[in-house]
Amino acid sequence: MSGAATWISAADVPALYEGAKFYAPAVGDAGRSSLTSWLTGLLEREGPVALHRVETMAPETPCVSLCVLGSGSALADLPPAGDEFVAAIRQIEQLQGVRFGAVYPLAAATVSALVPVAAAAQLGVPLLDADGMGRAFALIHHTAMYLAGISPTPLVAFGPTGDSVLVDARTGARADRLLRAGLDTLGGWAALASYPTTAGALRRGALPGTISRIANVGRVLLQQTDPDLLISRLAAITGCRRLGRGRISELEQLSRPSDGSIPAHPSSVVIDETDGRRRQLRIELRSEIVAVFANGELIAGAPDLLCLVDATRGTLATLDNLERGDLVDVLVTPGDAVWYSDEGMAMVGLNFHGIPLDHPRRLRGEP
Amino acid sequence: MSQRPSTLPITLGGLVRIQPLASASRLHFADPLRQVEQVVLAQTFERLRRCAPHVLVVLHDTAAAGGWSLAAALHLAWERNVSAVVVSGAVAGSAGAALAERLNMTLLAIDSDPVDVALQLAGQVSAPAAARALGQALCAERLAEQTHVRGVLGVLNSELQNAPVALVIGETAVAGRVAALQDKSNARRVEVEVQGPDEQPWARLVAAVPVNGPMAVEQVESLLRLARPSLQAAWAQTRLDSTVHSAHEQAAFGLLRRLAAEPPPEAPAGPVEIETPPWSSELGWQVDGVNRAVWLTPLRPSGEPSEEVTHLVRAAWQRGRTHWPLVVDGDSWISWHSSEDPDDVGPLRRAVTAFRDSAAAHRLVIGVGQAHPGVAGLMRSVAEARLAAHVAREQGPAGVQWFDQVGASAALAWLPTTEIAQVADLCLAELMDARDRMALVQTVLAVLDCGGSLSQASQRLGVHRNTVLARLTRARQLGLAYDEPEQRLALHVLCYALASLWTQSGTDE
Repeated sequence: MSGAATWISAADVPALYEGAKFYAPAVGDAGRSSLTSWLTGLLEREGPVALHRVETMAPETPCVSLCVLGSGSALADLPPAGDEFVAAIRQIEQLQGVRFGAVYPLAAATVSALVPVAAAAQLGVPLLDADGMGRAFALIHHTAMYLAGISPTPLVAFGPTGDSVLVDARTGARADRLLRAGLDTLGGWAALASYPTTAGALRRGALPGTISRIANVGRVLLQQTDPDLLISRLAAITGCRRLGRGRISELEQLSRPSDGSIPAHPSSVVIDETDGRRRQLRIELRSEIVAVFANGELIAGAPDLLCLVDATRGTLATLDNLERGDLVDVLVTPGDAVWYSDEGMAMVGLNFHGIPLDHPRRLRGEP
Repeated sequence: MSQRPSTLPITLGGLVRIQPLASASRLHFADPLRQVEQVVLAQTFERLRRCAPHVLVVLHDTAAAGGWSLAAALHLAWERNVSAVVVSGAVAGSAGAALAERLNMTLLAIDSDPVDVALQLAGQVSAPAAARALGQALCAERLAEQTHVRGVLGVLNSELQNAPVALVIGETAVAGRVAALQDKSNARRVEVEVQGPDEQPWARLVAAVPVNGPMAVEQVESLLRLARPSLQAAWAQTRLDSTVHSAHEQAAFGLLRRLAAEPPPEAPAGPVEIETPPWSSELGWQVDGVNRAVWLTPLRPSGEPSEEVTHLVRAAWQRGRTHWPLVVDGDSWISWHSSEDPDDVGPLRRAVTAFRDSAAAHRLVIGVGQAHPGVAGLMRSVAEARLAAHVAREQGPAGVQWFDQVGASAALAWLPTTEIAQVADLCLAELMDARDRMALVQTVLAVLDCGGSLSQASQRLGVHRNTVLARLTRARQLGLAYDEPEQRLALHVLCYALASLWTQSGTDE
């Protein structure tokens, strides 16, 4: 191992959590306290975890990604015993006859951004400052690694009850379906170890710098309460911009049948813009915010990262706490460039969410 | 009228009057005059992008999945300038309606299958004449339900939207929208004559059809024709009602008059307070306060007025003050205003002023009595008003006279001027044959009125004193010896009668 590393200590946990939430705004705060206290205690006991850039690692170093599969509320109901992630990694190690030299998050967002930190502390290996999504997507093969030809399998899902599932499938989509079929039996959530590969492969396949980014975003979110200042500081780090500010006038929950391909029911939030052009903003939800329409015109959509900021408190507004009359800012953050390629768009773009419209970036002639 | 059916495209307003859109709920209705040239059943957004302007879009399947899809479809429809969007009621919520309002895009929600609806609409749009005929049949039903002239005109105006329709009697619009009578270069006037129950022309229905509007002239004309039977029925009904009401009022006033003239036999001697009978309030009459009567009478009375004239006078008099009665009394009409304050003449002045145009049109004069309390006071005020009206005749049509200002000269108004003129024909034959008799009679009258002063008389007549003198000499030669004391009163009266007769008729014939 060569090159300088930064360190993630117990004091960084709240910022990591907040930043991870920014990149996955659909997730609520259900498992917050148990998870953060577990990780904080771990880091206090084991000491800080080294955070390495991928290019500083030896190319042949075996690496594996980690994430939490399943729902956040299931994780809150049945908290991790603590050894699920290490156990999942050990099974792949056994199968492949390797010893992983580093771990990285499948998605540097939600609780999935925190569990690799815990695993790195438990295993005593470095954490890579990179991930597969740069945010949270719905399915496990929606990653930059998959687009780069790296297989997610063999993978292991280790449940909180001690059961585990090992999947070796021919495509990412089949692996995802096989996994989800067993998820309920595993306990509603599972520790997922996947994409076993080398640091060399990750140099071309993973999205770099995403862990440091969520830590920085988290610090901004923890400091600021004035929404305008918050947004301008966030913009400096993430390139986000405000689409509009308005009051929520309607919450259409579960208004339409799901098409079955996405693990969440479609619903929408209607916002009446309070300043500017006083448009009607319509926010479409699946497992994340997938599109924003202004007076019926599509102005932003997946793979853009869309989130809401509570404009009265200057905090992120999570989708499960929205109420009629809330004053919110709608933020759009561009996703990684890889998602705007034809392959990326086909995988996580609007069409995947059942919206057969051209992406506004394409209409504007942007790459 | 052209026999060829119009091929003009049907309007949105025309389509929503007939099924299937008649039962659609209008989440936002922007412009009923928008033309609909084609119907498109849009299953995808790609199909919406290819829509031409002025089509009606029925959304189904992917394009009508609800939520974002309706919003996006509305935006595309707005971009393509389509006439309206029809969508299943299951996916059209209040947010969709709000967006339609923001974009000013007509949005209709249906309960039935969108494909069936689109097929029916396509049939209607491809045969606009048939669709219009169906619309007219439905309109005929609505017209037949109307029992009042205003209701009939209301249906016509709601049906024809931008072509205002008025019912005109003579040159006056009695119902509907006056805009129909205004001459506009960009509108064509359509007129249909309406006969009364006696098969005589009674009124006209007039519509102003915009030249560039979506409505064909023959379409408007056939609608106006459709309205005629309902109008005739409504008019007959009104006449029946007003005749009964008029008779009721006449009888009631007769009773009031008898009450005032014949106090009850057991009443003590002296002034009697007559209790206001309860039935008077059933007619909406007020008699309890101080009453000031108004007498409306023709300039030249010629017997009892016809029911039609009474109806028109009543309508004109009661415009704006419907609680004041109007009772036919002989050749005239009596009305009165009752209030607590005898000096409160404001409402009456306004009423009289508002009525003057109608009074001129019907050649009526108006007399106003003084304020007196109770039933007896009303009868006294009626007598005063009648007297004042006689004096008002001197002013010609629409003359108004208040009894307070008449005084003793009211006596002159009672002179039988026609009979006195006949006396002049016999006694002053020479004078009556003279060509300058009018000037001579007026000069003698002026001199007598001025107590014999030639200079005052010459000032009043606006002629030189010598002219006055010359005319007096000639008048005396023709038998009008005004300065003989025993004949002076008779000749003064004679001259007054002749002069007022000639002034009224505007000639000395």
